[in-house]
Formats: sequence, structure tokens, C-alpha cells
Amino acid sequence: MKLNVIKAYMKKEFKELYRTKLIIMVYLMPSMILILFGFGIRMDVSHARVQIIDNDKSKISQMLSSKFEHTKYFNATISNISENSALKKIKQAKTDAVIIIPSSFEKNLLKGAKSEIGVFVDAAFPTRGTTIETYIQGTILSLVQEISKEKGLSQKGTILINNRNLFNQAMRDEDAIVPGLIGLVLLVAPAILTALLIVKEKEKGTIFNFYASSISKGEFLLAKLLPVFILHSLNIFILFLWAVYLFDVPFRGSFFLYWIASELYILISLSFGLLVSVIAKKQIVAVVLTIMVTIIPGFLYSGIIMPISSMDGASQIEAHMFSVMYYNHIIYDTFLIGQGFSSTKILFYLAILLFYFFTLFTAGKFLLKKEMR
Amino acid sequence: MADLEIRNVSVKYKKLTAVSDISFVANSGEIIGFIGADGAGKSSLMHAIAGIIRLSGEIQYRGYTYKSPQESEKIKSQISFMPQGIGLVLYGTLSVSEHLDFFADIRDIKKDTKFLEYKKRLLHMSGLTDFTNRLAQNLSGGMMQKLSLICALLHRPKLLILDEPTTGVDPLSRLELWDILDDIRQKEGTIILVSTAYMQEAAKMDRILLFDEGEIIAQGTNKELLESVRNFTYAKMDKPPDDTISFDKKTYSLKSLSIQHKEPNLEALFFVNALKKNKTLPAIKIQERQSQEKIPQIVMRAEGITKRFGSFVANDHINITLKSGEILGLLGANGAGKTTFIKMLLGLYSIDEGKLMLLDKAIKNSNDRINLKSKIGYVSQHFALYNDLSVRENLMYFANMHKIPIDAALNRIKKYSYELGFDEYMDKFPKELPLGVNQRFSIAAALLHEPVVLFLDEPTSGVDTLARAQFWQILHKLKTKWGISILITTHYMSEAEYCDRVVLLKLGKKIVDDSVENLYKLHPNAKSFEDIFLTYFKGER
Amino acid sequence: MKIFFIVFSKEIMSFMRSLALVSVVLYAFTVDIYIAGAGMQIKPRNVIIGYVDYSGGGLSKKILSHFHQPAFITPKPFLSRQKLSQAIFNKEVLVGFIFNSDFEKAYRKGQNTNLDVLIDATAASQSLTTLAYLQNIIFNFEKLKIPLKIKSHKLFNQNADNHSFMALTELLSVITLLIVILTAIVFVKEKEDGTWDIMLLMPVNPKMVILAKSTSQVLIVTVGVILSLGFVLFPAFNTPMNGSFWNFILLTLLYGFSSAGIGLFVAAVSKDVMQVAQFSIVIMMPLIFLSGAWTPIYAMNPIFQNLSLFSPLRYYIEGSESIFYRGTSFVDLLPYFGGVTLLGIVLYLYGFTKIGKLF
Repeated sequence: MKLNVIKAYMKKEFKELYRTKLIIMVYLMPSMILILFGFGIRMDVSHARVQIIDNDKSKISQMLSSKFEHTKYFNATISNISENSALKKIKQAKTDAVIIIPSSFEKNLLKGAKSEIGVFVDAAFPTRGTTIETYIQGTILSLVQEISKEKGLSQKGTILINNRNLFNQAMRDEDAIVPGLIGLVLLVAPAILTALLIVKEKEKGTIFNFYASSISKGEFLLAKLLPVFILHSLNIFILFLWAVYLFDVPFRGSFFLYWIASELYILISLSFGLLVSVIAKKQIVAVVLTIMVTIIPGFLYSGIIMPISSMDGASQIEAHMFSVMYYNHIIYDTFLIGQGFSSTKILFYLAILLFYFFTLFTAGKFLLKKEMR
Repeated sequence: MADLEIRNVSVKYKKLTAVSDISFVANSGEIIGFIGADGAGKSSLMHAIAGIIRLSGEIQYRGYTYKSPQESEKIKSQISFMPQGIGLVLYGTLSVSEHLDFFADIRDIKKDTKFLEYKKRLLHMSGLTDFTNRLAQNLSGGMMQKLSLICALLHRPKLLILDEPTTGVDPLSRLELWDILDDIRQKEGTIILVSTAYMQEAAKMDRILLFDEGEIIAQGTNKELLESVRNFTYAKMDKPPDDTISFDKKTYSLKSLSIQHKEPNLEALFFVNALKKNKTLPAIKIQERQSQEKIPQIVMRAEGITKRFGSFVANDHINITLKSGEILGLLGANGAGKTTFIKMLLGLYSIDEGKLMLLDKAIKNSNDRINLKSKIGYVSQHFALYNDLSVRENLMYFANMHKIPIDAALNRIKKYSYELGFDEYMDKFPKELPLGVNQRFSIAAALLHEPVVLFLDEPTSGVDTLARAQFWQILHKLKTKWGISILITTHYMSEAEYCDRVVLLKLGKKIVDDSVENLYKLHPNAKSFEDIFLTYFKGER
Repeated sequence: MKIFFIVFSKEIMSFMRSLALVSVVLYAFTVDIYIAGAGMQIKPRNVIIGYVDYSGGGLSKKILSHFHQPAFITPKPFLSRQKLSQAIFNKEVLVGFIFNSDFEKAYRKGQNTNLDVLIDATAASQSLTTLAYLQNIIFNFEKLKIPLKIKSHKLFNQNADNHSFMALTELLSVITLLIVILTAIVFVKEKEDGTWDIMLLMPVNPKMVILAKSTSQVLIVTVGVILSLGFVLFPAFNTPMNGSFWNFILLTLLYGFSSAGIGLFVAAVSKDVMQVAQFSIVIMMPLIFLSGAWTPIYAMNPIFQNLSLFSPLRYYIEGSESIFYRGTSFVDLLPYFGGVTLLGIVLYLYGFTKIGKLF
């Protein structure tokens, strides 16, 4: 190991990052993504626009309407438009759902005759469509339950759901999303930066300095990796502060675990970027490839959108291939759960992360050729 | 056993054989010169010896044998390699002194007083002492070359491999560079392998290898090689017969001619070899201009043109006129402001002060230039070509952009590729070609649209002798047939003699503006134009 | 006009020349979109339920029997509450039910009874939906005497097929990203390679050059979109096309120019490819955020709601969804066309003048 040589390359990289003003991006990009998406992504459905057509105008139908009016889930409008024009509104994306209460709804209901409520949901955005549908059904059913109790139509007891939301009592979206975003940000930002570091030298010709000198492949990669690593390490703390103070995400676990896992994770992202840089011959290819290969899995397998455990076979395997899954398991633990080092699973995942870094770095070293093509 | 032995080395790129079965030896303190046509295999052999490309055969250096880049790792600390290409190994955003620190560090040099003195000397030699804080991206082409070179010398390598280190470097700096090389080989016993397109330099080497088509076709000392061509070199004939080549006041012929012999120089090797292999470039025929142009008497008049970069004055109140049908040579040391001046003429840099007239039109803003663009041809120092288009496609693109009818364009491209000798490379990509070949088709690109005036910024740097001879013939024919005006910069002082008039720039100021004959009269003792040039610049540093 | 075609075809040729670049772009339009579509599933699916049954009775079994594929995996029994919590901590189980010993007794007696539910709320959306599901299952289970039927229709996407939707959203993001980056790099490449000067000296109208260069990239991406529709979205995910295909292509082209405008701006302010990469991401992230791709616009903070009016992606996404799923007619699409066109003109002209100043 020639420390002086690595130091010289590092100094050069630092200067270049500083003079090309990329250093601003190193700190701007991660915080920006975290803040925008932290505020931006809302998984919960609220204020869905519901159009109620009340053809009955009875006491019960009004009770139903008011149930929809008094919940944060819906923004209900009650009007007397025709079914067709209501459906047209859905087509124009002016409303999310239409509920049609038939005439003589109350009469039939109390008589025990069959009655039917029509519900039309815009499922163009299927997830939201399904959720809205479920909520609408729930609201109607709970009303019916109330009525049947009132009228003494049911003899049996009622099952009350007594739910405890572990780790996230208030079911806040922030708590569920922001830690996952850290995993995304620390994957994408470092990788994009390093993805160009070597291919840039190849395009320019300065790679000859590496070819012709006695610096080894490992030293060269290390010299490329370390400056960005040091710069990005600060982001671990910056992102932590945003999460805890701006988004009020609780932090229940070990900060040391958070820190060490994040450093390791950054190393993986950097090594991945370098690997792309080693393989690519053109900068543009390196840029597009890195963005494609990091952002999508970063979202998909981060656990933000869906838990890994409920993925299908193939996706399940893919998820296990990306570092983000392991890191996010640890990150969610440090923020919301707090098992820390006492959990063997976390220790195992840390070992996997270490293995990933080692493998990616070695692959980069193996594929980097110290000769012309 | 010799210190460096090259045994049966071949280098292949995919299917193409760049170097085949070359062997030679070199000893401590020797300077071995590589000369030869562009694409003859000089660079490939250098890459092989520097251990950065796969090879077959073997290389032995001071008892250590290597056959692949991996095996060469062990001796890389003793080697220094400077690849071909202007400023190729420099980092745009680092300053001159930061480059020196960086290269010293990656070579693990102890920074003692001895090193600091050596560094100071290198800086002084290269004339970069006053520019230590300037970023590499703001250096002139020649300064970039010098910086790359001194970076390669920093760790006092035992084996120094330099691929055209002096391309684009001014004559004075070239002299100083050779002093340095001479010095380190004596003090350190360094083996120096160097390729060059300047034959005066080649004359200073201990042994010269002449390359052609991947093989060494002749080797020996300067004297031995000159001896081999003495019989074919004659004084220039007015009407030379076919199968002869005439250039630079000499005529070369394999058959004996009835006129007297003349003292040859190394350039003769190229001509004689071309004659022997029957590879002479075709005679140049310039047809009448297809488009008739009325050319004003004064093509360009610059009055008090000034350019400042911050506090640095690159061009200081320069007055130059270019008359119709005139070849004007713009000479000066690296960083004297030649490129800056041309870029202002072209509108690539804004003019800070002064008046500019181009083709009877006062230039005040970019709108004034719109109609002039089709009348100007330009070749830049960093000849810029599209790397993802083949040579043919590049030229077609240029022709199309100049709205040349397709038949005419194809004809002209064919003609120039043939006359400038790059027709065999038409379907290659610029990155795969040697510097000299790229430069040739940049020239062709600048001529395609039959311009009225040509601005040429070091068009012949790195181009081999044969192609340069051809190029100057084209320029002269263009001048007589088309009445074209040419402003050209060059570091080949012999080329200055083909100019009607020369202007010398020094530190941004014009110091000489006169015809070549008058200058010879002013300096009666000068043997060549190089001597005249040096009198203006020597002793200044 | 001839110049336009010359520059245009040169750029297309340059693009085709780089095998790696072509493959990466193809990857973006096929594999990448396939992964996004195949992998994303936001509604509860394969949710793993664990339970502890202290009641030992039939009622609990009856309730559990309602949780089945595809939304749920057959519930897994645990011996104690502690073991169940442990499994949730390790993310092996998402939802846990605890049936207390008096659960069934109380119910039979007509009293209120509690069903304890533990939920891993780190995945808030999944948990919420699971809870809502559970609620509905229990309502249904109580076998109401009232013969009410909720006749529910999911319009435009009967099976709430998430795959085609995610693939479409991904396609729209890929379009944005590629147009911005490719356009910017076409210009910045020339700065890096030194061909910029040569371009300036060509006796052609620089406006034509800019127009041709950016149009070529828009076209490359449009071809990619068509390939993506033909090879991934329609065959692999059965994406419906309820509206007019040509409306979508027209909208894509218009949107292409507004993105190209952003690309031109990025090119004007960047010196090298590295800066292009960073700038593009920084500029595109807010656009994507404000587009409603992740959060419906009406659920945003009012300030963001107003800002989102300036994101061309918003009109593009809403317009595309309407064309594919809602089958909206051209007249009703006009607001989207209007938004994309108006912003397209503004952005393109801005980028155009910005880079034009360098000529």
C-alpha cells in the first residue's frame, strides 16, 4: 500500500470536486430528495373526492352521507346529477368515486327487502382505487352495523378490533417513509458521483497516468473511492437531522448502529458506481445506466412501497439481490424498533452488507484493466 | 547484455497488426529516435514497451523480462511514459504547480531540496515559472505539452518513453528540452525512446529507427542514415520528371538525374522510402474555383486588437493586415497569443478593444459574421472532429453543413483524401487514427467549401514529412489558382520560409512584421529561419 | 430546412453508433419498465398473518378462514404473544391476531368482545389497508340481517391491476429522464470534445442546429416509447388502451419538447457530463414530485398544489392515465394538451434562448 500515492490521488479528486462545484451537489441532492419525497409521498388515502347521488333523501341515506362528510378520508359532495354525468366526471378525473343511493333505500332496508348501493371507483390508479373502495365499503358497513344494533336486529355480540400499531402508533406516513428514503438517497447520490470518476479519465486520456505509473489497481480504486466516501459520510448526519428534527421521526435504536451501517452502505453504493465506471466506455452510458439501475430498485426494494415479505417469488429474489433491502431493515430498526445489536438478524445483515462491499470492490478491481483496449 | 532488449515484439488491435516482429536494443544513456510516417507503428511499440498494451514477443529491461502489462508492473516505477496528444494527461481544473505536486506524489518522490531545485529548473526550462497558478485548461497547447513533459521527467525515470513530446512546442523550448534530455541521460544514465516529427531533433539522437508499416526498415546513426540517401538527393529541378518528389529546395529521385547532388537531411528518408515503395502521393491538381468570388484587396485588417483574461493581457494592441493572395505566417513562442488572435478573428473570443475588418466588413457583433462564415476556413490546434462518425461521415457532414451539392462534395472529398493520403482511412473513426492523419483530414474539412480566407492554427503539428510537403503544395496552388489568403501558425521554422510575410508575436505584442527575404537580409549570418527566430527569443529567460 | 435534416441524421447516427448507449436506452424502455411493473404491488398481497389462539374455539377459526390468497397467506399459529411479537420485530410477520380466552364466550353471550391486533406499522400503507380489510371481513362475518348489497365497480381497471399502472408510471418517468439527459449531453459532448467551436463556425442558422439536435433526441425517445408499448406494456401487462393511441403519441411528442427545453437549459449551465448528471437530477426531482405521480395533487399542501400547475409532467401523467384507462375523448383531453403545450412552449423557448446565447 503506497499511502502517499493514494493521498495524492485523493487530493486531486477533492480539488476537482471543489473546482467543478460538484461539491454543492454532493450535499444538495441527498437533502433535496429526502425533503421533497418526505413531504411528497403519501401512501394513505385522504380527501378522496366522492360524489354521492342520494335518490332516497331519507333519514338513513342522510346519515350515510354525513358519515362520508365527517371523515378525513373523503371530501364528499352530495348532488342530484344523473348517473351518466357523474360517470363522466370520473372520466374527466374530476371525482374519484361515485356512490349511488337508490330511491326507497330506507324503506327497503327496514322492510328487510333487498337493496343495493352502487359504488363506482376510478381505478386508473389501482392502489388508490382499491383503498378508496375498501374505505367506502367500510363506512357503509359500519353504518349498517350501527343501525342493526339500534333496531335490535342482531343478537350476537360485536367484535371490536383493538389494534396496536407497533413502532408507529400514529400511523404517520413520515415515520414509515423517511427512513426508507435515506436508503434510497444514499444509494443513488454516491453511485452517480463515482460512476463517472473513471470513465471520465478514459474519455479524456488522463487514464494514461494510471496505466503508466506503478500505482496498483486496488490503490487506484481506493483513491477514487475515499474522497467521495469522506464527503458523503457527512450526509449520514445531515440526513439524520432532517429525519429526526424536520420530520419528527422517532429514533429508538442505537446511533452507533445507524452510523456504522450507513458508512458501510455508502461504501457499497460507491463501489457499485465505480464498477459501472470501470465497465462503461462513455460517460453518457455510465450516467443513464447508474440512474436506471439504482433508482428503480432503490424504490422497489426499499420497503417504502411494499414489504419485502409480501412480494412474489421472483421479486422476492430480486429484492434479496440489492443492498437496499438489508440496509433498510437495519435503518427501520434504528429509527422505529430499536432492537439494535441484540438482534441476530441485524448482525447477519451487517455481515451481508460487508460481503457486498467486498464483492463489488473486488469485482471492480478484477474488471479494471491496467492496459489499453 | 544490453540494458533494454526488445525481442520480436508484435502488437495487434483486433484484426489489425500495428507492429510486427520488431527487435532492437538500447543501452544506458542512449537516446533512440523513432521516426516514420503517421500510422507506421511508433506509438504502438511505445505502448508495448511502457507496459500498457498486450504484446507478443518479449521485452527485457535490465535483466527483467516481461511479456504482458501485468508483468511490466514491477518496473513501472522506473519508467515514464508520455502519450501522444495535446494535454492528454492533464487535469483541466488543476493548476501547473498542483500538477507537479500530484505527479511527484504518485511517483512517491521525497520533496527534499534536491528535488525542489530540479523542479525549479524544469519549470524554468519549460517557461512555466510565471504560470504556476494557472489552471491547465487555460494553458495554450504548447504549454500543455511542456507541462506534460516535465511531469514525466519529475521522478528522473531510468527509461523514458516520449511519444511526440515536442508536437506543438516552439523552437526555443524544443532546444531547451533537448538540453534537459541530454542532461538526464548523462547524469542518470536514462534510456530515452522518443518519437518526433521534427527531423532536426532526430539528428540529435544517438540512433534512429525508421518505421514503416509496422516494421523497422532502416536504423543507424544520423550520419549512417544520411549516407544511405545521399545518392538520391539532388538540387531542386524546375521541371522535375515523373517518379521524383520535390520539396524544400530539393528533388529526390531513384534514377540518377543530370543535376548536382545536394546535402540531404533526414526528411530525405521519407521521400526516398516513398519512391522505393512506389507510394508517392499523387500530384496536386487544383481545379478552378467552382464558385466565383470577388476578393477585396485587404482581406483582414486588425487595428489595436486587444484581449485580456483577468489581469493577463493575451493580445496587446495588435495591428495586422492580410492582403488578398498572401500567405502570412504567425510565429511566436507558446503562449505568445497566436491562438487567441485567431480565435478573435473567428469570433470565438470577444474582442476587448480595437477594430476588425473582415472582407471589407467592419465586425462589431456576431451578426456581422453570419454571411462571412461560408468564406472562412479554419483548422484548430485541437483539430476537433466528431468521434462517433467515421472520417468519411465527418467530411460529408462538414460538406452538408456548408450546403455543398452532393456530387461536388463527394468529388472533393475523394480528391483531398487521395492527395493528402488518407484515403485508406476513410471508414475509420478519428480516435483510432494517429494524430497526423486526423490533422490531415481536418485540413481537408477546412478546404471543402472553397473558402476565400484560411485561418490555420498549427495545421501541420505532428503531421509526417510527406504529408506536410503535400500540404504546402496545396496551399501554394490554392493561393495562385484561387487567390486565397492564408493566415497560418506553425512551429516548423522551415515552413516559415514558404510564407510571403511573417509576423512574430512575443508576450502578446507584435515585434516583427516583414517578408522572409527582408529578414534574411537583416540577419546575414543566419543559416536557416530557425536562427532568425531564435535571435528574437533567446536570452530572454 | 436541409440543414435540419443533416444535423438531425448526424445525431441519430451518432446515437446508433454507440452500441452501449443503444443497449442502455433499450434496457430503460424494456427491462427496467418490466421490473417496475412486475415488482410493484401496493395492495395487500401475500400479507403474512400470525395468530395466537387462547380461545381455542371455532369462532377464531372461522374468522381466520376468511384470510386467504391472494391477499393473505394462510395464517400461521404462534404459541405465545411473545413469540408473535418477536416474529413481527424481525419482519417475518406483518399482522398478528390475538384471540383472548374469553373471546368466543363473550361474543356468544351477545357482549362486545375484543380482538387484539398487532400491526407492523413501518409499512404504513400496507398496514392501513390490511386493517381496513380486516374490518370489512369482520363486518361481513357478523352476517348482518339486513340484506344490503354494495355493488361495487372498479372503473377502467376492473382487476385493479397494479402492474400495468406501475409500468406506465415508470415509462413516463423514463421518458422524462432520458429526454432531459440525452438532449443535454448532445450539447455538452460538443463542449467536452472541442467540436463546439467548429459548430459555431458553420455557416448555418444556429437555431436550426439547436432545433435539429433536440428534435433528434425527442424522436429517439418516442421510438423507445413505441417499443416499450409494443413489447412490454401491451403484451406483458395487458395495459388497456381505452383512448386513442395517436392522442398519446401526440401528447408524448409535445411533452418531449418541454423536457427537451429543460435539457437545453441544463446543457447551457453545465460544463461536462458530470454536471449534466447532477443538474438533471436536481431539476427533475421537484418536477416528478409536483406531478402527482406519488401523491394525488389534491392531497398536497395548497402551496404545492399551486406549484404543481407548473409541472408539465403533471399534465402528461394525468393525460396519459386518462387516455390509457379512462378512454377520455380528445375534447376532454384538451386541458392536458393545453397544459403540456403551454409549458412546453415556455420551457423550450427558455432553454432555446439560454443555449442560443452560447452560439
